[in-house]
Amino acid sequence: MSGTTLYVALVAFGVLAGVASGLLGVGGGTLIVPFLTLAAGLSQHNAEATSLLVILPTAIAGTLTLRRRGVGDPALALRFGVVGAIGAVGGALLALALPAGALRIVFAVFVGLVGLRLIYDGRRAEARAG
Amino acid sequence: MRASAASAATSRARLGRFRIDRELVAIGVLGGLLSGLLGVGGGIVMVPLLVIWARYGQRDAHAASLGAIIPISIAGIATYGVAGHIDVRAAAALIVGSVVGARLGAGFLARIDERHLKMVFGVFLIGVAALMGVRG
Repeated sequence: MSGTTLYVALVAFGVLAGVASGLLGVGGGTLIVPFLTLAAGLSQHNAEATSLLVILPTAIAGTLTLRRRGVGDPALALRFGVVGAIGAVGGALLALALPAGALRIVFAVFVGLVGLRLIYDGRRAEARAG
Repeated sequence: MRASAASAATSRARLGRFRIDRELVAIGVLGGLLSGLLGVGGGIVMVPLLVIWARYGQRDAHAASLGAIIPISIAGIATYGVAGHIDVRAAAALIVGSVVGARLGAGFLARIDERHLKMVFGVFLIGVAALMGVRG
């Protein structure tokens, strides 16, 4: 894919990832990174970095919406997020130290686990509803 | 009453003058690590941990996680950005799409039964995992 086709595909995929996120609670990054590597030809590291830039405005918008509805404590969330930011720097540095192939495998394992979790959640909810 | 106040005091860690419960520190660090390592939000591990370990309600856990992702993703962006890995134009295109998608998704949530969808989607993700494992 190249040029305009690529950007149209990216917008379209963004819509899909947004719907999945809003509907199934699967974070955008889980979908965006594989799409960027498998369909858009980005390297594993570039895909992950780009994904984070997409996640930021989404998280801001979501937090503002919840705030407007009076849900949650943003001051607390930001505080514990600042602690998390330290973890994030560590995680990113670790990723940058890993070769792309190894990082891809780690990511693939993660996606597989998320998939299993979703199947489990779906079945458990079904069983309960009878 | 006094016993619980005492135990609450001991479970609070101190980061300078910054008061925060020890579980939240651990959950935050784990979420951040995952986010930085994989380029995801981190909510996938933070929300369940907040519910099970920090005993938050589902909604509060979700809200806390979403708020925490803001500084977490900023830190990741800065780290990767300095190393020159971000494709800003690709990100912009994805952002445009996901703003629309998030609204649609939230709308659907009220109207459809997502249980089957979760199972189907879970299988799909396992397929994606396999594809990633095989390619490159």
